[in-house]
Amino acid sequence: MSDSHDDHHDHHNPGFLQKYVFSTDHKTIGLQYGLTAMLFLLFGFYLMMVMRWSIAYPHEPLPAWMGWLFSEDWKAQWLTEGKLPGETYNMFGAMHGTIMVFLGIVPLGFGAFGNYVTPLQIGAPDMAFPKLNMWSYWLYLTGGIMMCASFFLESGAAKSGWTNYPPLSFFADAQYPHQFWTGQTQWLLGLVMLISSSLLGSVNFITTIINLRAKGMTWMRLPFFVWAMLVTGFLLLLAFPPLEVAGIMQVVDRMFGSSFFQPSGLYHQQLGLSDASGGGSPLLFQHLFWFLGHPEVYVLLLPAFACVAEIIPANTRRPIWGYKSMVYGVLVLGFLSFIVWAHHMYMTGMGPAVSAFFQTTTTLISIPSVILLTCLLISLWGGSIRFTPAMMWACAFLPMFGIGGLTGLPLAFNLVDLHLHDTYYVIGHFHYIVAPGILFGFFGGIHHWYPKITGRFMSRKLHHLHFWPSLILMNTLFFPMLIQGMAGFHRRWYNGGDAYLSADPESTNVFGRTVLEHIDLNIMMSWSAWLLCVAQIPFIINLFVSWKAGRKANSDNPWNACSLEWATPTPPGHGNFIEEPIVYRGSYEYARPEVEDDFYAQWRKPVEKVDED
Amino acid sequence: MADSPEQIKKHIKLYLLIGGALFVCTVLTVAVAKIEWLDFGSRGFGTADMVIGLLIALFKATLVALIFMHLNHEKKLIYWLFGFGLFFAVCLMLITGLAFSDPVEFEGFFGR
Amino acid sequence: MEIPYIVEPRKDTGLNNSKIGIWLFLASEVMLFGGLFSGYVFLRIYADYPWPERTLPVLPGLINTFVLIGSSITVVFAWVSLKLRQWRKFQIYMGITIVCAALFMVLKGVEYNAKFHHQAIRMDDYTVIEGHSHKQKNAVGGAHKNLNIKAKSLTVSLSRVDDIYFDVLDEQYSKAGFGLANDVKLTDGTVLEQGTAITKELIDQAKKDFLAALAHNSNINIELGRQAWKTVKSKHPGVKYYELVGDQTLKGLVDEELKKLKKDADFKAETPALNFVSNEEALISVNPYWGRLSNKNRGKAGRLTLKDDTSIIGTIADSSITINVDGIDFRHTITKAEEKGIPKDTAIKNSWLLKSNENMREVWAKHKVVTKKLVEYLEPKGKKPTENDIYRINWQEIAGLADKSIEDIEKLDHKEIEALFPGDIEGFAGPVHKKHGDPDSKGVAYPEVVVPRAQVRFESVFSPRWNTYYATYFTITGLHGLHVIAGALVLAYYLFFGRKMYEEKPEWLANRVEVGGLFWHFVDLVWIFLFPILYLM
Repeated sequence: MSDSHDDHHDHHNPGFLQKYVFSTDHKTIGLQYGLTAMLFLLFGFYLMMVMRWSIAYPHEPLPAWMGWLFSEDWKAQWLTEGKLPGETYNMFGAMHGTIMVFLGIVPLGFGAFGNYVTPLQIGAPDMAFPKLNMWSYWLYLTGGIMMCASFFLESGAAKSGWTNYPPLSFFADAQYPHQFWTGQTQWLLGLVMLISSSLLGSVNFITTIINLRAKGMTWMRLPFFVWAMLVTGFLLLLAFPPLEVAGIMQVVDRMFGSSFFQPSGLYHQQLGLSDASGGGSPLLFQHLFWFLGHPEVYVLLLPAFACVAEIIPANTRRPIWGYKSMVYGVLVLGFLSFIVWAHHMYMTGMGPAVSAFFQTTTTLISIPSVILLTCLLISLWGGSIRFTPAMMWACAFLPMFGIGGLTGLPLAFNLVDLHLHDTYYVIGHFHYIVAPGILFGFFGGIHHWYPKITGRFMSRKLHHLHFWPSLILMNTLFFPMLIQGMAGFHRRWYNGGDAYLSADPESTNVFGRTVLEHIDLNIMMSWSAWLLCVAQIPFIINLFVSWKAGRKANSDNPWNACSLEWATPTPPGHGNFIEEPIVYRGSYEYARPEVEDDFYAQWRKPVEKVDED
Repeated sequence: MADSPEQIKKHIKLYLLIGGALFVCTVLTVAVAKIEWLDFGSRGFGTADMVIGLLIALFKATLVALIFMHLNHEKKLIYWLFGFGLFFAVCLMLITGLAFSDPVEFEGFFGR
Repeated sequence: MEIPYIVEPRKDTGLNNSKIGIWLFLASEVMLFGGLFSGYVFLRIYADYPWPERTLPVLPGLINTFVLIGSSITVVFAWVSLKLRQWRKFQIYMGITIVCAALFMVLKGVEYNAKFHHQAIRMDDYTVIEGHSHKQKNAVGGAHKNLNIKAKSLTVSLSRVDDIYFDVLDEQYSKAGFGLANDVKLTDGTVLEQGTAITKELIDQAKKDFLAALAHNSNINIELGRQAWKTVKSKHPGVKYYELVGDQTLKGLVDEELKKLKKDADFKAETPALNFVSNEEALISVNPYWGRLSNKNRGKAGRLTLKDDTSIIGTIADSSITINVDGIDFRHTITKAEEKGIPKDTAIKNSWLLKSNENMREVWAKHKVVTKKLVEYLEPKGKKPTENDIYRINWQEIAGLADKSIEDIEKLDHKEIEALFPGDIEGFAGPVHKKHGDPDSKGVAYPEVVVPRAQVRFESVFSPRWNTYYATYFTITGLHGLHVIAGALVLAYYLFFGRKMYEEKPEWLANRVEVGGLFWHFVDLVWIFLFPILYLM
């Protein structure tokens, strides 16, 4: 655990490998996390685009521009006449979910932003365990590559949804002799690696935040960002191990033939009666999975919230509204998130008592969420808002997350959930949170801290080219999902409802004309998705070109912000601060009357006392 | 500091004592399971055996945690950190148990 | 700037970094094992088969408990010695700790090994028999319990055929003289002649050809599909695929167009499978986990399908399992019988095992006497025998009463009978069998039963596969074992490479040993729960 060697003198003249690849510096690791995560996000996006083709145009072969990533042999095996068959769609769906959640958003929020910003904001020279930090990244990368490389296995990648429920996942790939070399098993092993990586990361974060705060950085002077990271750390630390266990149990089920999650008498149409002993419980997996699954939502969300909570006060030039209630809110949120998990499982035959319990806790958890959002919203009130790119993203985050959050409320109720469960409504709900919500927060964060990382600003023109199409397309992409979902569109229809299509209202088909009335939305959503991909190009250009050619930031604190990361040189060198920082006040002291500037930075020595009233 | 050499010397006897207690407790657990006249309640494994076995294990674990792992004079913060783990582990077990023990009675729901 | 608080504690928290780190890590470990224990509890409570209670040999578990507790004590003293700056003592204590860890793992290995060589069969009527299976008379490739078929013909699926099966079965195939059933024309013009012997090269050649043809055809299909859609869409702009054009949907028009286009396309013939025939019926014998028989009746026509879709057709051959029985369990039989309303005794009497085997009937008759004596013994104490006592015969009983007749047993009382049973030391890790065909070897000659495949519902060695109890046992103890190894490696590192650090910064090393020790205690703590839960309950 205490592998923080005393060999810092080695770092004075590090070689290329040590500086950029096997670095133990939290900033380099943060950037590694960020770039890797964005690559994975792109890949996940690509999978989704192919899926959307199958939904909008189920009978047309994939167009050439979409199929270029596939090899000839791969196409021959996994496409039927160029179209996406159900099995391949499931594979893409499962991997899209897994990649976006485990390989994209979590590492981007916690790994990249958390790693880069947290030690700077608390005035620490590095993480508490730098080597562990490096291991954490490499474990993550290994796990991610294992999962994605399984596309090239004979069995293909995992194909049982990102939740990997048994017995579905048990039968998937069960016909392959080498259980180790199947997508399902590789997925599980990759997951175990990712979780181990998160565990190392969270131990590191919490220790750093507890023990490496600079002089004078008391708990209530911490930026909200750090609080959010602390809570995220605890969620990762305590919610992930049960899934790690469940993953290991599934590996044992697959490779050693045990029956943790296989009930007795399991029968499969093609594979026949299961040759496992039976006696296990599929529900057990669901419990272990969702015990992680729900805190995971907040692991995704809190880093984005954290970014926004830093951007808004810096650009409204007034203190964040209700800092304390936000801090307590996030703590309560973290605590409650552990006891709401089975609201994902209303359909599993849980009794009314348990459902009522989870219904109550789930509605309770909306209170701290709303407190957080409201505080940010009220923070805008009466501020002198500067619409910097970061601020625009933050402002877009608020309503988008609002829609995402509020559409989630009906799902908390058992009775409503019976109708909406597994429909596009659910997809719309959580994509509103994750895509326009969380990702917008991260885009804002990237714009906000870019000058600190590179010493240059990102281009505003390219920002506008990125921002406006993204904002519009996200909504044309996800809002129709809510409508379709309420009409009963199932989330796993690989051909967008074609099989249920009926022009006849008297049809024996349960939907009658419903599908016909809503199926055209598929085309609109799919084009939104593809155009959304085009809209990301300005951002990618912006990200890399501005690194060398952007407008130079002429100060270490270009946004005139108060928190400690702006006290470092640009970019921060090894060890971050030139002299040990001392903190005199909270991190949102904007527009204070004592000082002539409109911000009173945390590290600024107090000016002579002025009466405070 | 509680970890000064003088105090550690004082503790040596305690460590040996606790070690001995752990051995004795282990023997006791096996005895309760194996020896007939220690068979509580009915013959063979029963609720009493389970409760006694778990209580002894809990006692042993507490000894190890308090003395060997120095939780008896640890900082408050550690109690919090480790306590969270224990608390949520219990949550996981209890609430999952609740969910398992309260299945929808389909017969009652839909009639026969 | 150096990272602060690596050794000395921070003032306001009173802790150094590694102390916080390890306790956080332990908190997550609590969740990890908490998840496993939850799994154990719910699998046990909601098990739909009789849970194996107290079936593990206790002695190795007990010794391991002592070993781990001992190592916990020595690791504390190793830390104390460092604090008191006694390097020599530290070395001794830490050395003992490492030796204890090694001993623990060795004992674990002995236990595992015994389980992996112990066979169990769940019969069709849910009777469970345990014992050692040994080589069949007709065994091929040293297998214990293979599926056997006298094969006449064989179909290899070229898209799915797997090397690991083929490499093993290659020898059997060539011995049987399998050759191609008919001429196969490949796309490049080569003809594989009828009668060509089955070889890996042949399969590879055909497979390559098949995949190439598949890719070629798929390319054409995609191209034509795009063309067809383009043509039809340009004729009817803005019409969606499900909308009607005249009396047909747009998709229907495309299908027609596609049919036209496909007529003149240059498709290559695909050969997805190769058929082979043998000159005479030859025995093919495979591991039971590789595939399944279409029926289990010896002498009937049937098919053996391997997991790679290789299909072997012929006559089902004898695939029975020969087993020396050291344990019989009727508990599952009677629960299943009760569901059907059959009296318990009838169900047992009618079980295949008792009906077909004289030895087993004798074992059961002896067991009835033993139960009777037990009832007589318990009655004055106001207790009753458990289901385990009545319906389960364990190896101690079979071994202890092997050379006693029923009349002999009738003369004894319960205590005297129990005295005949072998003790914990004789059966340290389980029953010891005489080596097959070696009457002078150590161990007991347990009665032999030949179980026809048709009577086998499920069979496995005592591995995670056997039931959820053993799955839990192996997974929890396996993970715990990994923790032991990891902890021992860390501690060994301090022991063997800590000298330099000790001389430079002894406090730092003491601190690290304390942290490593905390982990070690936790591993001990987990075992403290594992031992009673897995061995005694």
